[in-house]
Amino acid sequence: MLLRASGERDDRAYELSAVTRGHGDSGVPHSDTIRALTEATVANRWDELAGLRESAATVLGEQAMVDVLTVAAAFNGITRVADATGIPLDDNVVPATEELRAAVGIDRFDYHEKTARYDLAAAS
Amino acid sequence: MYQTSYPVRADLARKHLEAWRLIARPGAFFDAAERVQIVQEARAALYCALCRRRKDALSPNAVEGSHDAATALPTPLVDLIHRIRTDPARMTRSVFDGALAAGISAERYIEAVSVVCTSVIVDTFHNALGLPVPDTLPPEPGPPTGQERPPVVDAGAWVPLTAVDEADGVFGMPRAPNIGRAMGLVPSAVTLFFLAFRAHYALRDIPLDITQAQAEFIASRVSALNECFY
Repeated sequence: MLLRASGERDDRAYELSAVTRGHGDSGVPHSDTIRALTEATVANRWDELAGLRESAATVLGEQAMVDVLTVAAAFNGITRVADATGIPLDDNVVPATEELRAAVGIDRFDYHEKTARYDLAAAS
Repeated sequence: MYQTSYPVRADLARKHLEAWRLIARPGAFFDAAERVQIVQEARAALYCALCRRRKDALSPNAVEGSHDAATALPTPLVDLIHRIRTDPARMTRSVFDGALAAGISAERYIEAVSVVCTSVIVDTFHNALGLPVPDTLPPEPGPPTGQERPPVVDAGAWVPLTAVDEADGVFGMPRAPNIGRAMGLVPSAVTLFFLAFRAHYALRDIPLDITQAQAEFIASRVSALNECFY
């Protein structure tokens, strides 16, 4: 949802469903390179990252490559805080993002919905 | 930390070292040895056979067994740490309720979340750069410090959140997003986590060599991978 805000600031329409789908052109510059680095980081694919770092440094520059990993590491931590505490969306975000959440499939991550889904699967 | 030829920002390295030292001090509800063991347990989770079986199952709650624990921490705490580290997407209300029923207080739950998630940031960054994770520091002696109960409210999360007036400024933002309030039951847990986090990211004018949109793209992709609703 912050990506949408960035798009509004930049006067660009980013393709947000490309984020949840994990493929496709988001419109964010170098998003293929950034996506590959990010996904390998979160999935602990350290051997693959060795090669990705080198190719990404060529495309983005070495500092920018490190900065991609910097942000990925941070959100690998903070998403766990949210996931472990079941915090709701901020009040001002709920009405403003209703259509967006439905369109890009974020609603299936809702903590009430996930609890029901996984507890039901365990019981069956 | 960060003996590497890659250009790691000095402020980030400094903050990580501060966080690492803070983990090795007594917390409000865990002593320092326990906090260091929480980090060690989070690392062991990546090699835990039960965690792998759960990850492959339709529901993690359908798979019973024992974790490959690296410490003598109580079993319910080990289970919590391993779940947060290896399968955050499937943390559910029933996991939280189960932890409380097993005797983990909400305050200890929050402090454990903070220590695990701080170590995730530090370890992920090391691993991503191809560096070995840093040694944990020798724990300082002494019991948990305890704390006065902070002002918190029920705001629809599993845990009480920082009362809004008190949350202003915690995250360095003009208003109080729930992520900044989530660990408000244990203010020192908020301090520890955001000590590490703040060096990585800013909501606007991000001081990195990537654009704000690129940073938000990364944040969004990680959120999707970890099925983070927030």
